[in-house]
Amino acid sequence: MSFLILRKSLRSSKVTTQNPRISFLFSYGSPSFLYKTTEAPSGSRRLSHLIPENPIPPSGSPIYRHSFSGIYSNSLPSIKNLSQFRQSPVILTLFRYFGTEAAIQPSTADGLTVEGILASNWTILDESESDWKSHAAAIAQSIHLIKKRLRWKKLVVRLDLLSMELNKPDLWDDPVHAGKISREHGSLMGKMKQVRAFERELLEHIDMIKLAGEENDADMESESLKALVRMRRNSKEKELQAMLAGEQDSCSCYIEVQAGAGGTESMDWAAMVMQMYKMWAQQRGYKVTVVDEMPGEMAGIKRATIKVDGEYAFGYAKAEVGVHRLVRISPFDSNKRRHTSFAAVAVIPIMGDGSTRVQINESDLRIERFRAGGAGGQHVNTTESAVRIVHIPTGITATCQNERSQHQNKASAMAVLQSRVDQLEMARQAQMNAQHTQSLTDITWGSQIRSYVLHPYRMVKDLRTSYEVSDPDSVLEGDLDGFIMSYLSASIDKDEDGR
Amino acid sequence: MRLSFTSACCPSNFSIFTKPSLCTNLHRTVCSSSLSSLPTSLKPQVPLFLRPPVHSATVPDLRNWHDWAKNLASSVGTRFQDSDNGPDSSLLSRELKWLMEDAIEDHSVFSQLGIGNNQTNVRLKAGIEELYNLWKQRIEERRPFQYVVGCEHWRDLVLSVQEGVLIPRPETEHIVDLVADVVSDDEGLREGLWADLGTGSGALAIAIGRILGSCGTVIATDLSPIALSAAAFNVRRYGLQDAIELRQGSWFEPLKDVEGKLAGIVSNPPYIPSDNIPGLQAEVGRHEPRLALDGGLSGMDYLFHICNGAASMLKPGGFFIFETNGEQQCKCLVKYLGNDMRGSFRSLDIVSDFAGIQRFVTGFRQ
Ligand SMILES: C[S@@+](CC[C@H](N)C(=O)[O-])C[C@H]1O[C@@H](n2cnc3c(N)ncnc32)[C@H](O)[C@@H]1O
Repeated sequence: MSFLILRKSLRSSKVTTQNPRISFLFSYGSPSFLYKTTEAPSGSRRLSHLIPENPIPPSGSPIYRHSFSGIYSNSLPSIKNLSQFRQSPVILTLFRYFGTEAAIQPSTADGLTVEGILASNWTILDESESDWKSHAAAIAQSIHLIKKRLRWKKLVVRLDLLSMELNKPDLWDDPVHAGKISREHGSLMGKMKQVRAFERELLEHIDMIKLAGEENDADMESESLKALVRMRRNSKEKELQAMLAGEQDSCSCYIEVQAGAGGTESMDWAAMVMQMYKMWAQQRGYKVTVVDEMPGEMAGIKRATIKVDGEYAFGYAKAEVGVHRLVRISPFDSNKRRHTSFAAVAVIPIMGDGSTRVQINESDLRIERFRAGGAGGQHVNTTESAVRIVHIPTGITATCQNERSQHQNKASAMAVLQSRVDQLEMARQAQMNAQHTQSLTDITWGSQIRSYVLHPYRMVKDLRTSYEVSDPDSVLEGDLDGFIMSYLSASIDKDEDGR
Repeated sequence: MRLSFTSACCPSNFSIFTKPSLCTNLHRTVCSSSLSSLPTSLKPQVPLFLRPPVHSATVPDLRNWHDWAKNLASSVGTRFQDSDNGPDSSLLSRELKWLMEDAIEDHSVFSQLGIGNNQTNVRLKAGIEELYNLWKQRIEERRPFQYVVGCEHWRDLVLSVQEGVLIPRPETEHIVDLVADVVSDDEGLREGLWADLGTGSGALAIAIGRILGSCGTVIATDLSPIALSAAAFNVRRYGLQDAIELRQGSWFEPLKDVEGKLAGIVSNPPYIPSDNIPGLQAEVGRHEPRLALDGGLSGMDYLFHICNGAASMLKPGGFFIFETNGEQQCKCLVKYLGNDMRGSFRSLDIVSDFAGIQRFVTGFRQ
């Protein structure tokens, strides 16, 4: 165990990590051992990190294996914040170091930790009240929730495991595996650092407020208070982001809607559901493209696929997987009877190039042209160039008919097919790891999740969360975030409690 | 600058547009062509989507037009389909959507079409009057959609087409995939000289020009000056003037200077038997050029002619691929190449299109 106590006097100078005055803290050398403590001239001890500049090894390079990559960046934000000290030497930060990143518990100069704040049960007042304890308690609560959502304890264990893997000398013998490990390590480490930085920021502002109180510096106090309010607002955003911490959550996705049995009424319902998602996606600022659409004979759609492009599209949309039920007086029933219809929704992540995607062999594909009849070739003029691709080993198919050339339809269908095959493979692996008990069909289409009742009363109710609204029109116009957020938080928070 | 085509005796010049000063006497201007009697002017038409948005209409006017057009499309039902395998109303509705995409400058207008009485003006590439006319022609005269908008989306290309130029077919796209396979592991073919016989809009020449190596070039020929002017327009739009040379003439006639030097020949010659022409789908029979469709009594007149020429035009190891009318023509051609022309070619093969119809014959010069 070692301590880092940093004494530094800074007079309102802007300090960045590039500042030569602090860069002496970091010396780069052989990564063979982690750190050493040295006596600083002032008598306090200083930690030098012998760490390469880039903690993630460039792919293929086995030189830096790092169980240590989190350490130095941990101290960066505190140093950044030195700029806020304008008075004589102060003790900046103290934290214990246990050898693993997770064990580092940031605390204030007088030993207050985020846990400590939570335990103090300070009253949380409205944001407009300028009471630092209230702000601090609200932020600490957010941090607690964020950690819960990130499955903090598991994250720590997993990181340790990954670090060990990264330390193995033969790691890069299998570059694909090594790439995967190092990507996951980087991503988890990123999450952990973010939370840690957020915690430290909170504690430093508290330090400063206390200091300002001691030194009667009203300016400094109000500045720090403002910073806390900013953090408090920011924390809500971070709570949301923490819900979307899954590997594919940040991906773009496809949304597919399929009409249930029941003819035109069902197909009309499927079209309404699809419209709902198009509007939801547009309102969120995502780009929407129709990939495939099979219209019903009279009205509506038999099925359709849209591509939703943008950050976290999959993370949010995955909350919509399942069967959606509609109850209304059917406009297609001349006897004005009440009908119940169903539409199934599937959501498929579009994995980035960084992830390992399933290699599809050309010879495993059967490509078919749609609605091709007659002699074809020069005999026929048509703008119909739909293509269906069948992946023979899995039986997965994909169709695209919305592009204007066969070649483009083929490319689009191929992209859908690739994502479906990837999803199947992920599901298969997850099942093998016994992390999921759902069947593969459940993963694709799920069970009934929501009821939309237009008659005899008006209500939309989520069967999973019991979240409900009494204005179906707004929901059908894409106002889905309430449903999505409540489901995401319910599932993730429940999940974590169970462990 | 005047549009002219290099003739066979000026092979070193690979540009489509040549200044009159150089080898003027070697150039035949298209106006003097024997086919100048065709109804369309030889100035290539600019496709709708490339025209400047100099027209405008209010949202309600546009909506009225759209609703009228949509109704007209719906009224067709399966009538065309039943009579000659033409488009049904769902296909026509999709074409209407694409017509709007091409005609309207700012696509965000689409979402406004359903709602509100927004009186703002929408910038258009064709006047609303013309839009009425165009859609009437589409439905009432069965004018092909691609002529209505002046372009065809083919592979990843958007090619300008107009009356007098065959609209490239989706089946033909596959020729490019097969050529890509062949050149991918053969540098001699990749960097060699290719010929596209009967190039029409230039579709094959352009797509192949884009997959060949930096030294690979394509000579594209056609008898039709309208086809060549459309091809020239398309070649220029894709910036391939240096890789593709257009020559006017019948099949191998303008290629005498490159005899025995070709690395590859592709062709989609007219292959419909003459007897079938009257029964063709209205879009094809009434509007597309007969010169591009009619392959003589058996439909194989030009296919045989091209096979015969290929033996002397290809260099040893050179590749050929020809499109045919289907199984019968494919088999007949393979038999002809294997028996009557024994010893000229190897690795003869028949390849099917995505509808499962045997469509292409391929092979290599011995
Ligand atoms: C079926 S079209 C193919 C056009 C284009 N290659 C394509 O695939 O879209 C046949 C083409 O052959 C041309 N053609 C007809 N007779 C010809 C001849 N005797 N010599 C050269 N080209 C000819 C027609 O003008 C037409 O452009």
